[in-house]
Amino acid sequence: MKPKFTPYFETLVKNYEAGNPGVKVEWVDFPWDIIQTKLVTRIVAGTPPALVNLNVPWADEFARDGLLAPVDALLGDARPRYLASTLEDLTFNGKTYGFPMYSNVAVIAYNTQIFKAAGIPHAPRDLDEQLLFARRIAARTGKAGLCPALSKIDGLMMQQGLAVIKDGKAVFNSPAHIALIAKLAETYKDGGLLKDALFAEDNFPAAIDAYKGGRLGMLLAPPTAVKRIESDAKDIYAITDVAPAPLGPTGIADGGWLVHFAVPKNVDAKLLPAIGKFARYLTNDANQLAFAKQASVYPAMAQAANDPFFTTVPPGAGAAEKAVSAGAVSMPHSHTLYVAGITDYDELRRYLVKAVEAGVTGKQDVKQALDQAVAIWNKKLAAQRSR
Amino acid sequence: MLNPMRSLTAWLFLAPALALLAVFSFWPVAFGSLLAFTDYSLIRETHWVGLDNFRYIFDNEMFTTGLKNSLLFLLMVPFVQIGALSLAVLVNNQLPGIRYFRAAFYVPVVTTVSVVGIMWGFMFHEQGALNYVLMTMRLVGAPVGWLSNDNLALFAIMFVTLWRGLGWYMVMYLAALQAVPTDMQEAAILDGANRWQRFWKITVPMLRPTIMICSVLSVLAALKAYQEVDVLTQGGPMNSTFTGLYYAYDQGLKHLKLPRALAASFVMSIFCIGIALLCLRYIKPKHR
Amino acid sequence: MKTLGHYLLLCAIAVVCVFPFWWTLVTALSTEGNIFAFPPTFWPKQPSFDNFIEVFNAIPIWSFFRNSVFIALCTVFWKLALCSAAAYPLARMHFKGRKLVFGLILATLVLPSEVNFLVNFITVTKLSLVDTYTGVILPNVVTAVAILLLKQAFEEVPQDLIDAARVDGASEWTIFSKIMLPLIAPWLATVGILTAVEAWNEYIWPSIVMSKPDEFPLSVGVLYLRGTFGSSTRVIAAGTVLTILPTLAAFLFTQRFFMRGMDGAVK
Repeated sequence: MKPKFTPYFETLVKNYEAGNPGVKVEWVDFPWDIIQTKLVTRIVAGTPPALVNLNVPWADEFARDGLLAPVDALLGDARPRYLASTLEDLTFNGKTYGFPMYSNVAVIAYNTQIFKAAGIPHAPRDLDEQLLFARRIAARTGKAGLCPALSKIDGLMMQQGLAVIKDGKAVFNSPAHIALIAKLAETYKDGGLLKDALFAEDNFPAAIDAYKGGRLGMLLAPPTAVKRIESDAKDIYAITDVAPAPLGPTGIADGGWLVHFAVPKNVDAKLLPAIGKFARYLTNDANQLAFAKQASVYPAMAQAANDPFFTTVPPGAGAAEKAVSAGAVSMPHSHTLYVAGITDYDELRRYLVKAVEAGVTGKQDVKQALDQAVAIWNKKLAAQRSR
Repeated sequence: MLNPMRSLTAWLFLAPALALLAVFSFWPVAFGSLLAFTDYSLIRETHWVGLDNFRYIFDNEMFTTGLKNSLLFLLMVPFVQIGALSLAVLVNNQLPGIRYFRAAFYVPVVTTVSVVGIMWGFMFHEQGALNYVLMTMRLVGAPVGWLSNDNLALFAIMFVTLWRGLGWYMVMYLAALQAVPTDMQEAAILDGANRWQRFWKITVPMLRPTIMICSVLSVLAALKAYQEVDVLTQGGPMNSTFTGLYYAYDQGLKHLKLPRALAASFVMSIFCIGIALLCLRYIKPKHR
Repeated sequence: MKTLGHYLLLCAIAVVCVFPFWWTLVTALSTEGNIFAFPPTFWPKQPSFDNFIEVFNAIPIWSFFRNSVFIALCTVFWKLALCSAAAYPLARMHFKGRKLVFGLILATLVLPSEVNFLVNFITVTKLSLVDTYTGVILPNVVTAVAILLLKQAFEEVPQDLIDAARVDGASEWTIFSKIMLPLIAPWLATVGILTAVEAWNEYIWPSIVMSKPDEFPLSVGVLYLRGTFGSSTRVIAAGTVLTILPTLAAFLFTQRFFMRGMDGAVK
């Protein structure tokens, strides 16, 4: 967060300490890369931080491993003020594990020049149009149209209303699932999907780099990323336009990414009420709004989220500003799409991604690949249950 | 000649180093190996689970592929060693500006691994520099998916590991070459030996201990490779670039499943020990 | 003519080795143009030091730099001291248990150490070394590789020199410090520079042990540039260049210790 947000946090801490004599708050900022390791080592050494910044998948794993404390009691009457969807994302096994801080939602940025060359009249309104446009872009300009994060294929399936797991069994080899993957495979074959890093664990850097290099027609990205395009590739930025991200049939917007503050498990229990109080302050409307404005993200508090800052577009806005309001449209529908509550989920996910990769790249028949993965999942899920 | 005074002195010299090794190398490995047989999870109670973790990882395609790949990495060793030795020979002279070349060859060693990942990722891109060069030179007809083709990705990664390692071993061979006494070389020239003969009959035998050490180190490094996987492919495409230790690293540092990570580490250790013993058996170093 | 061929070969290999660093440098020096254009740019457009200045503004780079230097120097000193001390008896003295000790040291070589960090952190905590540089340096000071290399270096020293000294009644310590160490200077330099580079680039362990961001070494400090907010590829490139340059400079500087005179060198 440093150094951009140093004033923000320092003011916040100062105000809180002024209003709450006897309380000392220390804000320490670490690079994102090492936070997980640092948290774990601190917990093991018995000196955990009172509050730690996490995202949903990490929170899920930590909560399941028993490393986080539920905060239902601490949320208290502030609870209804948070956006319902954010609290839902943080609830595992009936308990909530964090104070929502901010969220991100994707908008779709597209290269107007490529669109014109491919004869595409408007931004895509759903996944089918995305894929169709991608194929057209490939056919007429030879460039790739889209780079969906297929390593998170589970999220994509869920967004399209296709469950990955039902009643403890893997169900992603239904005809509907197969059809979805087949559509992706076709688009891939026609060159519509960016080949490199398509299935990488995090293909966003590759996607945004390709977009910045003028090699990609459409990019699903949060407004913060659109700002980066502005600074790194002015020529592409000039011909970029944005639209709200296409909602799936579930009405869920893509790219939901919630960040929150969690409480580690072995924090001194006596401190909990004080921690709760500070956490509520930290994530109250005013502070969330201030942060979100500065960071180009979205607050997770209902009142703050409806602030006109996010909904009005200033005149003469560039893509980055438009992105903010485009995203605001999708915010209420944003969810961090993640299959929660399963042990060793990551390993299972990798099997699924492998199967999808085989199917999409044409190495294996889609149905066969998915069937194989389903078999592996069910075997492992059964083994988990018997433990 | 053994005398007690000598022994005592020897132990005194060794003591500080051994103490540190005991605390920071042996202890974690011993304790860690023990933990591999438990379900240690940082906060909850720990129970003995015997071979459960090992059963789990051997049932897991990512680890078994990783094990196989780590063994495949051994193919790299001859290339790295011959390459590094050649580089050392090439720069073992006083040509003007030679130290800048030495530094240049050392750059891959000092480049931070994340940058290595970014750059080689860029090079290996379907529309990246390597394909560009190959296509311009008409060596290939269509872009090659170096990192997206599951048959090629592992070799691409091995190449990057080789690239990073050359400079490191070059420095060692350079120091060794420096130690080769010149009088033998001069005598040989007087005898009419040419460059090639001098190299093979004088230089290489004198380099033998260094070659031994470097080869063993190289073998162990190959078996323990994981950083390049982390920054380039994270195990993909299609789980084909996992290595044994990358699996341990991924499970241990990212998913905090320590007992499993330790079990994987343990298995890799066994392989390392086995192969190291094999090496030592075949190439017994000569003590003067 | 042969020299020209030699240089051409050297250049070709150098290009392959240096290009990632070159690209990073170009990116760090550019302020205009598309970084990710294809074919890639090999020369900065609108070069300036703006990005570097931004790095200095964004993070307390001098503190980080100072910390890194401290850590690197201490690590090198102690490593050379302790590992050469350990290597000497293994190379040149006969004593009971020599084989066993050597075997144990080799064993550490073989065992992967990536997952040791957690147990080591607990140890460091118990020794109250958390948040100290000692805690950062201590675990890395003794490595089997260094001992092995220095042992082999000692073995190269002609036995007669040692025997003569012993006959003269010199103590082992005198032999070690006044005769042996100077004789293996190139190897000390080699191990020294390899250690320095490793210590400089290490980031996981220091980030775990130190808890005050101001005390982080450079390798950790530059990670701050890569925040989710406000990260600019160019600034990150500048930060990376600043991290790599010192090690390269150190390497160039220590060359004179490797390269003893080549008098009487072969044509």
